[in-house]
Amino acid sequence: MNASPPYLGFGLGLRTCYFEDIIQTQPDIDWLEIISENYFVDGGKPWHYLDQIKERYPIAMHGVSMSIGSTGEVNFDYLSKLKRTIHRVNPAWISDHLCFSSLGDFNSHDLLPLPYTEEALAHLSERLRIVQDFLERPLILENVSSYLTYHQSQMTEWDFLCALHHQSGCQFLLDINNVYVSARNHGFDAMDYLNAIPKQAVAQIHLAGHSDFGSHIVDTHDQPVCDAVWQLFECYAQSMPRVNTMIERDDNFPPFETLMAELNQAKALAPMSWRSHG
Amino acid sequence: MADLAKLQQAFVDMLTGLNPELINHIAPQPGLDAKDRAAIYHNAYRIRLTKVLEQDHEMLGRYLGDELFDQMVAGFLSHYPSQDPSLRHFGDRLPEYLVNEPPFSAHGILSEMAAFERLLLQAFDAPDDTRLSIQALQQVPANLWPNVIFTLHPSVRLLCCQFASVESWQALKQADTPPQPELSSPRYWLIVREASLRTAFHPLSHSDYVCLKTIDDGLPFSFVCEAAAGLHQDTEAGTHAVMQLLQKALNSGWLSQYTLPAHMSD
Ligand SMILES: [Fe+2]
Repeated sequence: MNASPPYLGFGLGLRTCYFEDIIQTQPDIDWLEIISENYFVDGGKPWHYLDQIKERYPIAMHGVSMSIGSTGEVNFDYLSKLKRTIHRVNPAWISDHLCFSSLGDFNSHDLLPLPYTEEALAHLSERLRIVQDFLERPLILENVSSYLTYHQSQMTEWDFLCALHHQSGCQFLLDINNVYVSARNHGFDAMDYLNAIPKQAVAQIHLAGHSDFGSHIVDTHDQPVCDAVWQLFECYAQSMPRVNTMIERDDNFPPFETLMAELNQAKALAPMSWRSHG
Repeated sequence: MADLAKLQQAFVDMLTGLNPELINHIAPQPGLDAKDRAAIYHNAYRIRLTKVLEQDHEMLGRYLGDELFDQMVAGFLSHYPSQDPSLRHFGDRLPEYLVNEPPFSAHGILSEMAAFERLLLQAFDAPDDTRLSIQALQQVPANLWPNVIFTLHPSVRLLCCQFASVESWQALKQADTPPQPELSSPRYWLIVREASLRTAFHPLSHSDYVCLKTIDDGLPFSFVCEAAAGLHQDTEAGTHAVMQLLQKALNSGWLSQYTLPAHMSD
Protein backbone atom coordinates (compact mmCIF):
# COMPACT_ATOMS: atom_id res chain seq x y z
CA MET A 1 0.00 0.00 0.00
CA ASN A 2 2.69 2.51 -0.97
CA ALA A 3 1.85 3.59 -4.50
CA SER A 4 3.05 7.16 -5.07
CA PRO A 5 0.39 9.79 -5.63
CA PRO A 6 0.26 11.36 -9.10
CA TYR A 7 2.26 14.51 -9.80
CA LEU A 8 -0.28 17.31 -10.11
CA GLY A 9 1.93 20.37 -9.80
CA PHE A 10 1.43 23.46 -7.63
CA GLY A 11 -1.52 23.75 -5.26
CA LEU A 12 -3.13 25.88 -2.57
CA GLY A 13 -4.84 25.12 0.72
CA LEU A 14 -8.57 25.58 0.15
CA ARG A 15 -10.02 27.65 2.99
CA THR A 16 -13.56 28.97 3.48
CA CYS A 17 -12.65 32.59 2.79
CA TYR A 18 -11.38 31.70 -0.71
CA PHE A 19 -14.41 29.66 -1.86
CA GLU A 20 -15.95 32.55 -3.78
CA ASP A 21 -12.63 33.73 -5.28
CA ILE A 22 -11.93 30.28 -6.65
CA ILE A 23 -15.40 29.65 -8.03
CA GLN A 24 -15.64 33.07 -9.64
CA THR A 25 -12.14 33.56 -11.03
CA GLN A 26 -11.23 29.90 -11.77
CA PRO A 27 -7.55 30.65 -11.08
CA ASP A 28 -4.69 28.71 -12.62
CA ILE A 29 -4.04 26.29 -9.75
CA ASP A 30 -3.18 22.63 -10.38
CA TRP A 31 -4.88 21.21 -7.29
CA LEU A 32 -6.34 22.19 -3.91
CA GLU A 33 -5.93 20.72 -0.45
CA ILE A 34 -8.83 20.62 1.99
CA ILE A 35 -8.76 20.04 5.76
CA SER A 36 -10.54 16.68 5.91
CA GLU A 37 -12.33 17.27 9.23
CA ASN A 38 -14.03 20.44 7.92
CA TYR A 39 -16.06 18.14 5.67
CA PHE A 40 -17.15 15.67 8.34
CA VAL A 41 -20.40 17.68 8.49
CA ASP A 42 -23.41 16.52 6.53
CA GLY A 43 -24.28 19.65 4.60
CA GLY A 44 -24.31 23.41 4.42
CA LYS A 45 -21.68 25.75 3.05
CA PRO A 46 -18.56 23.54 3.05
CA TRP A 47 -20.11 20.91 0.79
CA HIS A 48 -22.07 23.44 -1.26
CA TYR A 49 -18.78 25.01 -2.35
CA LEU A 50 -16.59 21.92 -2.43
CA ASP A 51 -19.02 20.08 -4.70
CA GLN A 52 -18.59 22.88 -7.25
CA ILE A 53 -14.83 23.29 -6.81
CA LYS A 54 -14.01 19.60 -7.08
CA GLU A 55 -15.66 19.54 -10.52
CA ARG A 56 -12.83 21.76 -11.77
CA TYR A 57 -9.81 21.01 -9.51
CA PRO A 58 -8.23 17.82 -8.20
CA ILE A 59 -8.46 17.68 -4.41
CA ALA A 60 -6.03 16.35 -1.81
CA MET A 61 -7.31 15.65 1.71
CA HIS A 62 -5.23 16.73 4.68
CA GLY A 63 -6.30 15.67 8.17
CA VAL A 64 -5.34 17.24 11.49
CA SER A 65 -6.96 14.91 14.05
CA MET A 66 -6.09 11.31 13.27
CA SER A 67 -3.51 11.18 16.06
CA ILE A 68 -1.79 8.24 14.43
CA GLY A 69 0.99 8.16 17.03
CA SER A 70 -1.40 7.90 19.98
CA THR A 71 -1.08 4.90 22.27
CA GLY A 72 -4.81 5.13 22.98
CA GLU A 73 -7.20 2.83 21.15
CA VAL A 74 -7.60 3.33 17.41
CA ASN A 75 -10.55 5.69 16.88
CA PHE A 76 -12.62 3.80 14.32
CA ASP A 77 -15.43 6.30 14.60
CA TYR A 78 -13.04 8.97 13.34
CA LEU A 79 -11.71 6.66 10.63
CA SER A 80 -15.25 5.85 9.48
CA LYS A 81 -16.02 9.55 9.08
CA LEU A 82 -12.78 10.00 7.19
CA LYS A 83 -13.56 7.08 4.91
CA ARG A 84 -17.05 8.41 4.20
CA THR A 85 -15.54 11.79 3.31
CA ILE A 86 -12.93 10.13 1.08
CA HIS A 87 -15.70 8.40 -0.85
CA ARG A 88 -17.52 11.66 -1.41
CA VAL A 89 -14.44 13.74 -2.33
CA ASN A 90 -12.46 11.11 -4.28
CA PRO A 91 -9.14 12.81 -3.45
CA ALA A 92 -5.88 12.41 -5.35
CA TRP A 93 -4.25 11.42 -2.03
CA ILE A 94 -4.75 11.78 1.72
CA SER A 95 -2.41 12.90 4.47
CA ASP A 96 -2.25 13.58 8.21
CA HIS A 97 0.49 14.36 10.72
CA LEU A 98 3.32 12.35 12.22
CA CYS A 99 2.39 13.08 15.83
CA PHE A 100 -0.19 12.34 18.50
CA SER A 101 -2.97 14.72 19.40
CA SER A 102 -5.38 12.65 21.47
CA LEU A 103 -5.14 10.05 24.20
CA GLY A 104 -8.25 8.08 25.08
CA ASP A 105 -11.13 10.56 25.25
CA PHE A 106 -8.85 13.56 25.54
CA ASN A 107 -8.25 15.69 22.44
CA SER A 108 -5.58 18.37 22.58
CA HIS A 109 -6.31 19.69 19.05
CA ASP A 110 -2.56 20.20 18.76
CA LEU A 111 0.15 18.29 16.90
CA LEU A 112 2.23 16.88 19.75
CA PRO A 113 5.70 15.48 19.07
CA LEU A 114 6.58 11.82 19.45
CA PRO A 115 9.86 10.62 20.91
CA TYR A 116 12.19 9.20 18.24
CA THR A 117 12.52 5.70 19.64
CA GLU A 118 12.34 2.11 18.38
CA GLU A 119 9.14 1.73 20.39
CA ALA A 120 7.51 4.70 18.64
CA LEU A 121 8.66 3.35 15.26
CA ALA A 122 7.09 -0.04 15.87
CA HIS A 123 3.93 1.60 17.18
CA LEU A 124 3.60 3.90 14.15
CA SER A 125 4.24 1.10 11.67
CA GLU A 126 1.49 -0.96 13.27
CA ARG A 127 -0.95 1.97 13.38
CA LEU A 128 -0.21 2.82 9.75
CA ARG A 129 -0.99 -0.73 8.78
CA ILE A 130 -4.34 -0.66 10.62
CA VAL A 131 -5.32 2.75 9.27
CA GLN A 132 -4.32 2.03 5.69
CA ASP A 133 -6.10 -1.34 5.74
CA PHE A 134 -9.24 0.34 7.03
CA LEU A 135 -9.11 3.24 4.56
CA GLU A 136 -7.94 0.96 1.73
CA ARG A 137 -5.42 3.53 0.58
CA PRO A 138 -2.00 4.87 1.56
CA LEU A 139 -1.71 7.62 4.13
CA ILE A 140 0.98 10.28 3.67
CA LEU A 141 2.45 11.69 6.88
CA GLU A 142 3.55 15.28 7.49
CA ASN A 143 6.44 16.26 9.76
CA VAL A 144 5.26 18.61 12.53
CA SER A 145 7.22 21.48 14.03
CA SER A 146 8.22 21.03 17.65
CA TYR A 147 9.34 23.09 20.62
CA LEU A 148 10.86 20.35 22.75
CA THR A 149 12.80 17.10 22.47
CA TYR A 150 12.67 14.12 24.81
CA HIS A 151 15.28 12.32 26.89
CA GLN A 152 13.82 9.08 25.49
CA SER A 153 14.73 9.88 21.87
CA GLN A 154 17.35 7.54 20.44
CA MET A 155 17.76 9.11 16.99
CA THR A 156 17.28 12.35 15.07
CA GLU A 157 13.90 13.21 13.62
CA TRP A 158 15.17 12.63 10.07
CA ASP A 159 16.63 9.23 10.96
CA PHE A 160 13.27 8.40 12.47
CA LEU A 161 11.49 9.33 9.22
CA CYS A 162 13.97 7.29 7.16
CA ALA A 163 13.48 4.28 9.43
CA LEU A 164 9.70 4.62 9.24
CA HIS A 165 9.87 4.78 5.45
CA HIS A 166 12.01 1.65 5.32
CA GLN A 167 9.80 -0.24 7.78
CA SER A 168 6.40 0.72 6.43
CA GLY A 169 6.98 2.12 2.95
CA CYS A 170 5.07 5.23 3.92
CA GLN A 171 5.65 8.53 2.15
CA PHE A 172 5.91 12.00 3.59
CA LEU A 173 4.47 15.41 3.17
CA LEU A 174 7.51 17.53 3.97
CA ASP A 175 6.56 20.87 5.43
CA ILE A 176 9.68 22.89 4.79
CA ASN A 177 8.55 25.60 7.16
CA ASN A 178 8.10 23.00 9.92
CA VAL A 179 11.61 21.69 9.26
CA TYR A 180 12.90 25.26 9.48
CA VAL A 181 10.95 25.97 12.70
CA SER A 182 12.25 22.80 14.39
CA ALA A 183 15.79 23.43 13.09
CA ARG A 184 15.77 26.87 14.70
CA ASN A 185 14.18 25.62 17.93
CA HIS A 186 16.53 22.66 18.30
CA GLY A 187 19.65 24.00 16.65
CA PHE A 188 20.11 21.59 13.75
CA ASP A 189 20.74 22.27 10.05
CA ALA A 190 17.49 22.13 8.06
CA MET A 191 19.34 20.95 4.93
CA ASP A 192 20.75 17.97 6.85
CA TYR A 193 17.17 16.97 7.58
CA LEU A 194 15.86 17.48 4.04
CA ASN A 195 18.80 15.78 2.36
CA ALA A 196 18.45 12.74 4.59
CA ILE A 197 14.91 11.89 3.48
CA PRO A 198 14.96 9.38 0.58
CA LYS A 199 13.76 11.14 -2.59
CA GLN A 200 11.18 8.46 -3.33
CA ALA A 201 9.68 8.98 0.13
CA VAL A 202 8.60 12.58 -0.57
CA ALA A 203 5.05 12.85 -1.91
CA GLN A 204 4.25 16.48 -1.21
CA ILE A 205 5.73 19.74 0.06
CA HIS A 206 4.09 22.39 2.22
CA LEU A 207 5.34 25.96 2.26
CA ALA A 208 4.02 28.17 5.05
CA GLY A 209 4.87 31.02 7.42
CA HIS A 210 5.64 31.23 11.13
CA SER A 211 6.01 33.72 13.97
CA ASP A 212 9.45 34.54 15.34
CA PHE A 213 9.59 35.17 19.09
CA GLY A 214 13.37 35.54 19.23
CA SER A 215 14.03 32.78 21.76
CA HIS A 216 11.98 30.37 19.65
CA ILE A 217 9.74 30.35 16.58
CA VAL A 218 6.20 29.03 16.37
CA ASP A 219 4.59 27.38 13.38
CA THR A 220 1.53 29.65 13.21
CA HIS A 221 0.82 29.31 9.47
CA ASP A 222 -0.51 32.87 9.57
CA GLN A 223 2.34 34.73 7.84
CA PRO A 224 3.84 34.81 4.35
CA VAL A 225 6.54 32.24 3.59
CA CYS A 226 9.76 33.83 4.87
CA ASP A 227 12.96 34.32 2.85
CA ALA A 228 14.86 31.61 4.71
CA VAL A 229 12.14 29.06 3.90
CA TRP A 230 12.07 30.15 0.23
CA GLN A 231 15.84 29.64 0.12
CA LEU A 232 15.54 26.19 1.67
CA PHE A 233 12.85 25.25 -0.82
CA GLU A 234 14.86 26.51 -3.79
CA CYS A 235 17.99 24.70 -2.69
CA TYR A 236 16.13 21.47 -1.84
CA ALA A 237 14.05 21.46 -5.02
CA GLN A 238 17.18 21.54 -7.23
CA SER A 239 18.13 18.13 -5.87
CA MET A 240 14.68 16.59 -6.25
CA PRO A 241 12.50 15.06 -8.93
CA ARG A 242 9.24 17.00 -9.15
CA VAL A 243 7.12 17.00 -5.97
CA ASN A 244 3.56 18.27 -5.48
CA THR A 245 4.07 21.64 -3.80
CA MET A 246 1.59 23.78 -1.96
CA ILE A 247 1.20 27.10 -0.13
CA GLU A 248 -0.49 26.50 3.22
CA ARG A 249 -2.13 29.41 5.02
CA ASP A 250 -4.36 28.73 8.04
CA ASP A 251 -5.04 32.14 9.59
CA ASN A 252 -4.66 35.90 9.09
CA PHE A 253 -5.81 35.32 5.52
CA PRO A 254 -4.49 37.78 2.92
CA PRO A 255 -6.32 38.68 -0.31
CA PHE A 256 -6.44 35.73 -2.68
CA GLU A 257 -4.03 37.43 -5.11
CA THR A 258 -1.34 37.48 -2.41
CA LEU A 259 -1.51 33.69 -2.10
CA MET A 260 -1.43 33.34 -5.88
CA ALA A 261 1.72 35.48 -5.90
CA GLU A 262 3.30 33.11 -3.35
CA LEU A 263 2.27 30.15 -5.48
CA ASN A 264 3.91 31.77 -8.52
CA GLN A 265 7.04 32.38 -6.50
CA ALA A 266 7.16 28.67 -5.64
CA LYS A 267 6.82 27.84 -9.35
CA ALA A 268 9.58 30.30 -10.23
CA LEU A 269 11.98 28.83 -7.65
CA ALA A 270 11.35 25.19 -8.62
CA PRO A 271 13.32 23.55 -11.43
CA MET A 272 11.82 23.82 -14.96
CA SER A 273 10.96 20.12 -14.94
CA TRP A 274 8.45 20.68 -12.09
CA ARG A 275 6.34 22.91 -14.31
CA SER A 276 5.25 20.22 -16.74
CA HIS A 277 2.72 17.72 -15.50
CA GLY A 278 -0.01 15.43 -16.68
CA MET B 1 2.87 1.00 31.02
CA ALA B 2 5.35 1.25 28.14
CA ASP B 3 7.52 4.35 27.86
CA LEU B 4 5.61 5.86 24.94
CA ALA B 5 2.25 5.55 26.69
CA LYS B 6 3.69 7.00 29.91
CA LEU B 7 5.16 9.94 28.03
CA GLN B 8 1.88 10.68 26.27
CA GLN B 9 -0.05 10.53 29.55
CA ALA B 10 2.46 12.95 31.08
CA PHE B 11 1.98 15.30 28.13
CA VAL B 12 -1.80 15.25 28.54
CA ASP B 13 -1.50 15.80 32.30
CA MET B 14 0.72 18.81 31.65
CA LEU B 15 -1.78 20.29 29.17
CA THR B 16 -4.73 19.88 31.51
CA GLY B 17 -2.73 21.31 34.41
CA LEU B 18 -3.03 18.08 36.41
CA ASN B 19 0.67 17.33 36.73
CA PRO B 20 3.80 19.10 35.40
CA GLU B 21 5.87 15.90 35.43
CA LEU B 22 6.38 16.09 31.65
CA ILE B 23 9.29 18.49 32.22
CA ASN B 24 11.33 15.53 33.53
CA HIS B 25 10.99 13.94 30.08
CA ILE B 26 12.20 17.05 28.22
CA ALA B 27 15.84 17.04 27.15
CA PRO B 28 17.88 20.13 28.10
CA GLN B 29 18.67 22.40 25.16
CA PRO B 30 20.18 25.85 24.82
CA GLY B 31 17.75 28.76 24.81
CA LEU B 32 14.56 27.85 26.62
CA ASP B 33 14.44 25.61 29.68
CA ALA B 34 12.13 22.59 29.92
CA LYS B 35 9.45 24.53 31.77
CA ASP B 36 9.26 27.19 29.05
CA ARG B 37 9.14 24.54 26.34
CA ALA B 38 6.23 22.76 28.02
CA ALA B 39 4.54 26.14 28.53
CA ILE B 40 4.49 26.77 24.76
CA TYR B 41 2.23 23.72 24.37
CA HIS B 42 0.19 24.50 27.47
CA ASN B 43 -0.51 28.05 26.28
CA ALA B 44 -1.27 26.97 22.72
CA TYR B 45 -3.78 24.44 24.05
CA ARG B 46 -5.63 27.03 26.13
CA ILE B 47 -5.51 29.72 23.45
CA ARG B 48 -6.78 27.41 20.72
CA LEU B 49 -9.77 26.20 22.73
CA THR B 50 -10.54 29.68 24.07
CA LYS B 51 -10.68 30.94 20.48
CA VAL B 52 -13.16 28.21 19.58
CA LEU B 53 -15.54 29.29 22.36
CA GLU B 54 -15.07 32.96 21.45
CA GLN B 55 -16.03 32.22 17.84
CA ASP B 56 -18.91 29.88 18.66
CA HIS B 57 -20.29 32.05 21.48
CA GLU B 58 -19.56 35.61 20.43
CA MET B 59 -22.71 37.19 21.92
CA LEU B 60 -22.46 35.21 25.15
CA GLY B 61 -18.94 36.61 25.34
CA ARG B 62 -20.22 40.15 24.97
CA TYR B 63 -22.93 39.51 27.57
CA LEU B 64 -20.43 38.19 30.12
CA GLY B 65 -17.57 40.61 29.43
CA ASP B 66 -13.93 39.54 29.15
CA GLU B 67 -13.25 38.67 32.77
CA LEU B 68 -16.26 36.40 33.32
CA PHE B 69 -15.83 34.87 29.88
CA ASP B 70 -12.24 33.91 30.71
CA GLN B 71 -13.43 32.48 34.04
CA MET B 72 -16.07 30.47 32.17
CA VAL B 73 -13.52 29.14 29.65
CA ALA B 74 -11.12 28.09 32.40
CA GLY B 75 -13.88 26.32 34.32
CA PHE B 76 -15.32 24.67 31.23
CA LEU B 77 -11.90 23.45 30.08
CA SER B 78 -11.23 21.79 33.41
CA HIS B 79 -14.73 20.24 33.69
CA TYR B 80 -15.16 19.24 30.07
CA PRO B 81 -11.87 18.75 28.19
CA SER B 82 -12.44 18.22 24.48
CA GLN B 83 -13.61 14.68 23.74
CA ASP B 84 -14.19 14.96 20.02
CA PRO B 85 -11.52 15.11 17.31
CA SER B 86 -13.52 17.90 15.70
CA LEU B 87 -13.32 21.35 17.31
CA ARG B 88 -16.87 22.12 16.27
CA HIS B 89 -18.12 19.88 19.09
CA PHE B 90 -15.88 21.26 21.82
CA GLY B 91 -18.56 23.64 23.16
CA ASP B 92 -21.45 21.18 22.94
CA ARG B 93 -21.62 20.85 26.73
CA LEU B 94 -21.27 24.56 27.48
CA PRO B 95 -25.01 25.01 28.21
CA GLU B 96 -24.78 22.09 30.66
CA TYR B 97 -21.74 23.65 32.34
CA LEU B 98 -23.45 27.04 32.68
CA VAL B 99 -26.62 25.60 34.15
CA ASN B 100 -24.68 23.67 36.82
CA GLU B 101 -21.69 25.78 37.82
CA PRO B 102 -21.76 28.90 39.97
CA PRO B 103 -21.60 31.81 39.52
CA PHE B 104 -23.12 31.17 36.07
CA SER B 105 -25.87 28.84 37.29
CA ALA B 106 -27.50 31.74 39.17
CA HIS B 107 -28.36 33.33 35.82
CA GLY B 108 -30.48 31.00 33.70
CA ILE B 109 -30.19 33.25 30.67
CA LEU B 110 -26.50 32.32 30.24
CA SER B 111 -27.13 28.65 29.63
CA GLU B 112 -30.06 29.49 27.37
CA MET B 113 -28.02 31.92 25.27
CA ALA B 114 -25.28 29.32 24.92
CA ALA B 115 -27.90 26.75 23.86
CA PHE B 116 -29.27 29.18 21.26
CA GLU B 117 -25.78 29.73 19.83
CA ARG B 118 -25.21 25.94 19.70
CA LEU B 119 -28.46 25.57 17.72
CA LEU B 120 -27.31 28.24 15.24
CA LEU B 121 -24.11 26.21 14.71
CA GLN B 122 -26.07 22.98 14.32
CA ALA B 123 -28.34 24.56 11.72
CA PHE B 124 -25.30 25.88 9.86
CA ASP B 125 -23.88 22.48 8.99
CA ALA B 126 -26.93 20.22 9.22
CA PRO B 127 -27.51 17.79 6.32
CA ASP B 128 -28.92 19.16 3.07
CA ASP B 129 -32.35 18.06 1.93
CA THR B 130 -35.10 19.04 -0.44
CA ARG B 131 -37.65 21.74 0.52
CA LEU B 132 -41.24 20.66 0.24
CA SER B 133 -43.31 22.69 -2.26
CA ILE B 134 -47.00 23.53 -2.22
CA GLN B 135 -47.29 21.88 -5.65
CA ALA B 136 -46.03 18.55 -4.30
CA LEU B 137 -48.57 18.68 -1.48
CA GLN B 138 -51.46 19.30 -3.85
CA GLN B 139 -51.06 15.73 -5.08
CA VAL B 140 -52.28 14.37 -1.74
CA PRO B 141 -55.95 13.26 -2.00
CA ALA B 142 -58.14 15.08 0.57
CA ASN B 143 -59.13 11.86 2.40
CA LEU B 144 -55.50 11.02 3.11
CA TRP B 145 -54.56 14.35 4.66
CA PRO B 146 -55.08 13.22 8.27
CA ASN B 147 -52.39 10.55 7.71
CA VAL B 148 -49.75 12.76 6.13
CA ILE B 149 -46.50 12.81 8.11
CA PHE B 150 -44.32 15.84 7.49
CA THR B 151 -40.56 15.96 7.96
CA LEU B 152 -38.92 19.16 9.13
CA HIS B 153 -35.89 20.28 7.12
CA PRO B 154 -32.82 18.74 8.85
CA SER B 155 -31.53 22.21 9.75
CA VAL B 156 -34.69 23.19 11.67
CA ARG B 157 -34.27 23.57 15.44
CA LEU B 158 -37.04 24.52 17.90
CA LEU B 159 -36.32 26.44 21.06
CA CYS B 160 -38.48 27.37 24.05
CA CYS B 161 -36.99 30.24 26.07
CA GLN B 162 -37.66 31.01 29.73
CA PHE B 163 -35.47 34.12 29.46
CA ALA B 164 -34.93 36.93 26.94
CA SER B 165 -31.99 35.04 25.47
CA VAL B 166 -32.66 35.55 21.78
CA GLU B 167 -33.66 39.19 22.30
CA SER B 168 -30.43 39.75 24.23
CA TRP B 169 -28.44 38.00 21.52
CA GLN B 170 -30.00 40.31 18.92
CA ALA B 171 -29.35 43.43 21.00
CA LEU B 172 -25.71 42.49 21.57
CA LYS B 173 -25.25 41.73 17.88
CA GLN B 174 -26.32 45.31 17.15
CA ALA B 175 -24.17 46.62 20.02
CA ASP B 176 -27.32 47.62 21.96
CA THR B 177 -28.05 47.08 25.65
CA PRO B 178 -29.78 43.73 26.24
CA PRO B 179 -33.27 43.79 27.81
CA GLN B 180 -34.09 42.50 31.33
CA PRO B 181 -33.55 38.72 31.29
CA GLU B 182 -36.90 37.83 32.91
CA LEU B 183 -39.93 37.10 30.73
CA SER B 184 -43.58 37.18 31.77
CA SER B 185 -44.17 33.99 29.78
CA PRO B 186 -41.98 31.65 27.68
CA ARG B 187 -41.09 32.58 24.10
CA TYR B 188 -40.63 30.23 21.17
CA TRP B 189 -38.21 30.25 18.26
CA LEU B 190 -37.44 28.34 15.11
CA ILE B 191 -33.89 28.26 13.73
CA VAL B 192 -33.27 27.17 10.14
CA ARG B 193 -30.62 27.28 7.45
CA GLU B 194 -32.38 28.93 4.54
CA ALA B 195 -32.01 27.77 0.94
CA SER B 196 -29.54 30.66 0.48
CA LEU B 197 -27.39 28.92 3.20
CA ARG B 198 -27.97 31.85 5.58
CA THR B 199 -28.88 30.79 9.12
CA ALA B 200 -32.07 32.53 10.28
CA PHE B 201 -34.36 32.45 13.30
CA HIS B 202 -38.04 33.28 13.61
CA PRO B 203 -40.38 33.87 16.57
CA LEU B 204 -43.18 31.33 16.90
CA SER B 205 -46.53 31.45 18.66
CA HIS B 206 -47.05 28.86 21.36
CA SER B 207 -49.51 27.08 19.09
CA ASP B 208 -47.07 26.99 16.15
CA TYR B 209 -44.31 25.74 18.45
CA VAL B 210 -46.48 22.89 19.73
CA CYS B 211 -47.59 21.97 16.20
CA LEU B 212 -44.02 21.93 14.89
CA LYS B 213 -42.95 19.84 17.91
CA THR B 214 -45.73 17.39 17.04
CA ILE B 215 -44.40 17.20 13.46
CA ASP B 216 -40.87 16.82 14.80
CA ASP B 217 -42.06 13.86 16.89
CA GLY B 218 -43.09 12.14 13.65
CA LEU B 219 -46.84 12.29 14.30
CA PRO B 220 -49.39 12.52 11.46
CA PHE B 221 -51.24 15.66 10.46
CA SER B 222 -54.40 14.74 12.38
CA PHE B 223 -52.37 14.86 15.62
CA VAL B 224 -51.03 18.27 14.66
CA CYS B 225 -54.60 19.53 14.16
CA GLU B 226 -55.68 17.96 17.43
CA ALA B 227 -52.86 19.68 19.29
CA ALA B 228 -53.85 23.01 17.79
CA ALA B 229 -57.55 22.44 18.52
CA GLY B 230 -56.66 21.76 22.15
CA LEU B 231 -54.69 24.97 22.43
CA HIS B 232 -57.31 27.08 20.65
CA GLN B 233 -60.14 25.28 22.46
CA ASP B 234 -61.93 25.10 19.12
CA THR B 235 -61.46 22.68 16.22
CA GLU B 236 -62.13 25.23 13.51
CA ALA B 237 -59.82 27.86 14.98
CA GLY B 238 -57.19 25.16 15.48
CA THR B 239 -57.41 23.97 11.88
CA HIS B 240 -57.22 27.54 10.65
CA ALA B 241 -54.05 28.12 12.70
CA VAL B 242 -52.50 24.90 11.37
CA MET B 243 -53.28 25.83 7.76
CA GLN B 244 -51.65 29.22 8.27
CA LEU B 245 -48.62 27.59 9.85
CA LEU B 246 -48.40 25.10 6.98
CA GLN B 247 -48.48 27.92 4.45
CA LYS B 248 -45.71 29.74 6.31
CA ALA B 249 -43.65 26.56 6.72
CA LEU B 250 -43.88 25.76 3.00
CA ASN B 251 -43.02 29.31 1.95
CA SER B 252 -40.07 29.42 4.33
CA GLY B 253 -38.63 26.00 3.50
CA TRP B 254 -39.10 24.53 6.99
CA LEU B 255 -40.37 21.21 5.62
CA SER B 256 -38.40 18.81 3.49
CA GLN B 257 -40.93 16.11 2.62
CA TYR B 258 -44.11 14.28 3.48
CA THR B 259 -44.87 10.60 3.69
CA LEU B 260 -48.02 8.54 3.83
CA PRO B 261 -48.25 5.20 5.64
CA ALA B 262 -47.53 2.52 2.99
CA HIS B 263 -51.04 1.00 2.85
CA MET B 264 -52.61 4.44 2.37
CA SER B 265 -50.56 5.75 -0.53
CA ASP B 266 -52.63 4.31 -3.38
FE1 LIG C 1 1.93 21.83 6.90
